[in-house]
Amino acid sequence: MSEVLEIRARGVVKGRAAGPALVADATLSFWGEVDPVTGQVIAVGHPLEGRSLKGVVLVIRSTKGSSATPMVLNLAQLEGTAPAAFVNVEVDSLAALGCIVNRIPMVTDLERDPFEVIRSGDHLEVDAEAGVLRVMTAEGGLW
Amino acid sequence: MQLTAEQRAVLEGARGPYLAQCMRWLVEWGQVMGARRLIPVTNTHVLLPAPNLMARGASERTIETYVGGLKQACSYRTAPGCLCTVHTLFLTMDELDVPENTPGEVRRQREVAELAAKAGFINTYTCTPYLAGNVPLQGEICAWTESSAVVYANSILGARTTRHGNESAIAASLLGVVPEFGVLLDEGRKGTLRVEVSAHLDSPTDWGALGYFAGKLAGLGIPVFHGAPRPTQDDARQLCAALATSGGVSMCHIVGVTPEAPTLEAAFRGDVPAESATFTDETLRQTYAALRNHTGEEIDSVILGCPHASLGEIAAYAALLEGRRVAPGVRLWVNTARGIKAYADQIGYTRIIEEAGGRILCDTCPTNMRMAARRIVTNGFKQAHYARGMVGAEVIVAETAACVRAAVAGRWLGDE
Repeated sequence: MSEVLEIRARGVVKGRAAGPALVADATLSFWGEVDPVTGQVIAVGHPLEGRSLKGVVLVIRSTKGSSATPMVLNLAQLEGTAPAAFVNVEVDSLAALGCIVNRIPMVTDLERDPFEVIRSGDHLEVDAEAGVLRVMTAEGGLW
Repeated sequence: MQLTAEQRAVLEGARGPYLAQCMRWLVEWGQVMGARRLIPVTNTHVLLPAPNLMARGASERTIETYVGGLKQACSYRTAPGCLCTVHTLFLTMDELDVPENTPGEVRRQREVAELAAKAGFINTYTCTPYLAGNVPLQGEICAWTESSAVVYANSILGARTTRHGNESAIAASLLGVVPEFGVLLDEGRKGTLRVEVSAHLDSPTDWGALGYFAGKLAGLGIPVFHGAPRPTQDDARQLCAALATSGGVSMCHIVGVTPEAPTLEAAFRGDVPAESATFTDETLRQTYAALRNHTGEEIDSVILGCPHASLGEIAAYAALLEGRRVAPGVRLWVNTARGIKAYADQIGYTRIIEEAGGRILCDTCPTNMRMAARRIVTNGFKQAHYARGMVGAEVIVAETAACVRAAVAGRWLGDE
């Protein structure tokens, strides 16, 4: 964890959280594509298929699809399998609502393209109060 | 965000902590989404389901907490003058001899249903409120859950609703207001993606393919379809459902059909982009092929009615099934709203479908129930997309007549 990249971002839903990054330049519906009990992505053919969202900082383009997304996020939160934070390129009203209700921080409008500078497994600190995302990577970082 | 004195008082607890929380959800959500104020809402469609197998294996505490939240919401009254209907469940209230529909969960749902009715919610249990008596007027401000119905309300009826989740729709129902952002505003309804349609669209499922293709490209944007033939109601329903499956679309414009899009220029508010995506006969073929993932021809399930079938579709299913018999070991389900089934019962479609070995399922759908199945044939792109992960089944999406042929044969016979 020798290198730290600080990226300015806009805090959407306030709060601070940290965790390993899970990154895909893709969209995701929580109902229908995420199992709230296992925390796994169940969408067939999705780049994150089979990956667990538990405790991760989820770096995706946006949520999409079902209006039951906040409900599934709520169930995941109760089961302890929800993501720790959201880093989204675009803000879907359903992800925003789910994050507000479940007090999960979310940031958007990053000054760098997150899919170029963040890799799955990097350690991320999301500070939606200050509007900063810190990326800590081991050797072989992307910048 | 500017709040009235009355809204501020509710936020500060004048009507108790639960309604204060509801107001906080709406205010924070509005702030995040760029709203400047809360405006009156006269029409909601809410989610009040016990999780059932959607949360297979969840702890009793999780389920109790979740259902407790629903019961709390239902201990208040819906706002005066607001029509509040209810979305599908994760089970059916009917006695059903499948393990997914457990009596304990049905009892739990009935408790919520009773409280919901007292609160003023109308327990329609459908993803198609507009087929069950909730048909908003053009320009009417709504707060709807069900992603497919949101697109239909905005694009076909000209009503206005953002993509709501359970908490915001419940809060809107109880408080009678919604934050004003996105497609509630004229400028938020401007097209963002031009789609030229040259494909021959011969069935509602073909329209689903168009939606599945365009939703992925549009993301959270607003696709504008140009050059398409005029859709039927059922065509439009498939289009809207698929747009909100591959994408997070709130509305689309079908030029010449969407009330506020008589022309391409109107759909883009004068700012017509030169570039466009094109949907050709070849794109249509590829869109079907990309979703199908079957590795064999034997089938065990045929699922019709995603979104919930219209009466016209049920009539067509009955006509195709009359005098025929679904193959042994094949489950043929038609999903619909209870009110539509009441008509089907009375007219005789139900009897024909049941005599053929099929069944009409109300309140839910097999994907919502996570019904066990291995290979599904369906006429809905939305059902096909989600069944792959939710049910873990292989899927074949096809137009209705091919689905019924497969049901009778017990195996996939191809499109023609």
